[in-house]
Amino acid sequence: MSDEKLICMRCDKEMVPEKTNFLYMKFAFNYDLPRCPQCGQVYIPEELVAGKMASVELELEEK
Amino acid sequence: MTPIRETISLCPVCLRQLPARHVQDGNDIFLQKTCPEHGDFSAVIWRHNDKLPMADWLGGAKPMAPGTELPCPDGCGLCDAHTQSTCCVLLEVTNRCNLSCPNCLAGGLAGEDPTLDEIQQRIDRLLAEGCSFLQISGGEPTLRDDLPEIIAYAKDSGFGFVQLNTNGLRLAEDDAYVQALAKAGLSFVFMQFDGTCDAIYEKLRGKPLLRQKQLAIHHCNRHRLGVTLVPMIAPGVNAGDIGAILRFAVATSPAVRGVHFQPISYLGAHTAPVPDADRFTLPELLLAIEAQTDGMVEADTLVPSQCDHAACGFHGDFVVVNGALQSLGAPRQASCCGPSAAQQGAPADCCASPALPDDSASYSSPLSAAEKSRRFVGRRWERATASVDFDALETPGLEVDFGSFDGFLKQVRSHGFTITSMGFQDRGNIDLERLRQCSLHVYDGENFHPLCARYLGDAIG
Ligand SMILES: [Zn+2]
Ligand SMILES: [Zn+2]
Repeated sequence: MSDEKLICMRCDKEMVPEKTNFLYMKFAFNYDLPRCPQCGQVYIPEELVAGKMASVELELEEK
Repeated sequence: MTPIRETISLCPVCLRQLPARHVQDGNDIFLQKTCPEHGDFSAVIWRHNDKLPMADWLGGAKPMAPGTELPCPDGCGLCDAHTQSTCCVLLEVTNRCNLSCPNCLAGGLAGEDPTLDEIQQRIDRLLAEGCSFLQISGGEPTLRDDLPEIIAYAKDSGFGFVQLNTNGLRLAEDDAYVQALAKAGLSFVFMQFDGTCDAIYEKLRGKPLLRQKQLAIHHCNRHRLGVTLVPMIAPGVNAGDIGAILRFAVATSPAVRGVHFQPISYLGAHTAPVPDADRFTLPELLLAIEAQTDGMVEADTLVPSQCDHAACGFHGDFVVVNGALQSLGAPRQASCCGPSAAQQGAPADCCASPALPDDSASYSSPLSAAEKSRRFVGRRWERATASVDFDALETPGLEVDFGSFDGFLKQVRSHGFTITSMGFQDRGNIDLERLRQCSLHVYDGENFHPLCARYLGDAIG
């Protein structure tokens, strides 16, 4: 991930990396993602969505 | 006795088409038909309907419209009435075999082996027909010393996956041959593996073979050829060994990629009437898998065939974690074929409906949905490729970080596991509603035949 600072649009606070949990079907994943310390909003970079998360989703397709 | 479904079958004696019906008696369902010349016939096709209702399993599968006229099986090559295109094609490279199984499905075939040149021409034709998934079959294909050349030719010509169907005897004896097959680009091996004790092989194959099976797996592992075990399940012989087969396969992952169950069918030279006690139906298999693995595999993680008629088989997608199977969910991607030209534009209840959700379309390469599906299925049966660090990936006891995206993807890639099944139909239980949807075709050098039609045998007398 880049060193660029991310600012929460809503709170105007700097987002800080934090372990974030994802649940796909029965499988739980965690990943360090920038999160706003005030409102808790998480920023998910496009490359993560298009890369690893898409790959995981493909393996876990639900009918 | 309640009639529940109308269909079309064949007379087991003269093979003429007959109207047929599914009839329910208690929790058993039978296929019944009457030949004006040869009389009444009945075969059990579904047991335990209380625990696993056939109607639920078939879901939306529509019964054949009354008055449907089909040219089966005389009209095979594939005809306009066939609803599946050829994508998974079986190429017979020999009729010779190094076993003489009492129940060989290709037992009725004979004749000289085609030459390498003829086989190459057939491969060219298959590619021109749009096939991309080749199964090399026989007889026993490994009796040919030029099998590596055949495989290399198919791969170089553009087949995405080349599968070898074998009894594994030569793979056990001849490590150099296995190496040559791997080098030629063989994708994976489907190996007959009927059970975990020799008594089973003595009964089904005429001799003890367990040691050879283990050696074959060992050699394939050495050359990174994934092996899927193919047990033929016969009641009273190995129907009680289903759990043991699965446990053996899981313990042998990642060398073994899965288990493909074939409930026994009576094809080839077998023409005698089959008592119902000798049949093992799909729901019996599903329930046995659950019961004999103590619930490690739940029956509802196995879903009806996508490529074929729902009654023909099932598919389940798993990953091996710490010596146990975890379901990856019902594999929407698992269908490997598209509709035939005749069916294109038909309602999307068939397997070619777009496999990816809309919002993921932007991540995907420009492959067709059918092609992606084929790759998805093949990927499970193939070992991880050379671009991957095998040792890091496959070292036993290495901590699996299953909570990370990377750890998960690595584990699925290296220790993916499938449980699949396909039941062949014979002259006793053949249902043309199923036959016309068959996606597994045999190419005899001239025509494509649905597998069951190919091995049905001839009319008696
Ligand atoms: Zn905020
Ligand atoms: Zn007849």
